[in-house]
Amino acid sequence: MKISVNGEEVLAQEPVSIATLISQRKINPAAVVVEYNGAILACCDWEKTELKESDTLEIISFVGGG
Amino acid sequence: MEDKLVIAGQHIRSRFFLGTGKFASYEIMREAIIASGAHLVTVALRRVDAQSKSENILDYIPQGSIIMVNTSGARNADEAIRIARIGKTLGCGNWVKIEVIPDNKYLLPDNAQTIKATEVLAKEGFIVMPYMSPDLADARRLRDAGAASIMPLGSPIGTNKGLKVLELLKILIEEIKLPVVIDAGIGRPSHCAEAMEIGSSAVLVNTAVATAKDPVLTARAFALAVEAGRLGYCAGLKPEQECAEASSPLTGFLR
Repeated sequence: MKISVNGEEVLAQEPVSIATLISQRKINPAAVVVEYNGAILACCDWEKTELKESDTLEIISFVGGG
Repeated sequence: MEDKLVIAGQHIRSRFFLGTGKFASYEIMREAIIASGAHLVTVALRRVDAQSKSENILDYIPQGSIIMVNTSGARNADEAIRIARIGKTLGCGNWVKIEVIPDNKYLLPDNAQTIKATEVLAKEGFIVMPYMSPDLADARRLRDAGAASIMPLGSPIGTNKGLKVLELLKILIEEIKLPVVIDAGIGRPSHCAEAMEIGSSAVLVNTAVATAKDPVLTARAFALAVEAGRLGYCAGLKPEQECAEASSPLTGFLR
């Protein structure tokens, strides 16, 4: 299935939860926020949220900034 | 003399605010924060990509700091509101610097969109510190929209040109009974001192410190200048005058 992650279209193997995708990308889950189809998704829901065709995901973290 | 800076009911221990962008490493950033004594620091939010640092910047910010999310990257009010909410979810608290910039050449803020975002976020309980072009009518609108302070620019971001809009800043400080924080354009310690001498409540600096040859020393120099300028303001400096005025007595000359 095709999903969008941080504005890029990617092919993902089904089934895949948001928690799995985060760990596959070697991202520190404590340091990021996930927006799932435009709304912030609490981290306790990452495990049970399976991605579907055309889903949009934004993975965001703090960086230095003025 | 007690001279506390209080914004939204919170005591901020230093009038020198430091941005965390552009430092060569998080370690140097941390040292600069400590050397300057900055209590309020800003951070930004970005998408995580393959080039992202795996470390969490928050781990390098001294405990007890007030961390304010900058909505940099927002081109309109809706994007700024979205970024502020994400920052809060990431555990950053309620402090937000609204920065709405539709123009990449001069990085000048969009006051109208900034006012709109301020209104929404203040109602949601955020402590809103809007970055703005120094316009009196807009400053009043921001105050009425619930801003906790206003943050007019001294000159465009990263230019190191200092207080090019000095006369407008003086008017805002005189008319807006909220803390005025000069944000952007401050390039050297003397700019910090000047900002404080005219009665600003604080300054926010990033580029000039982070890109200096020695950022840690620069941070300290800027913080000292902020303190000196503030003391001068509190002491009640005399205004400039055209004619000379002798400092020695004009009587009892040995003639």
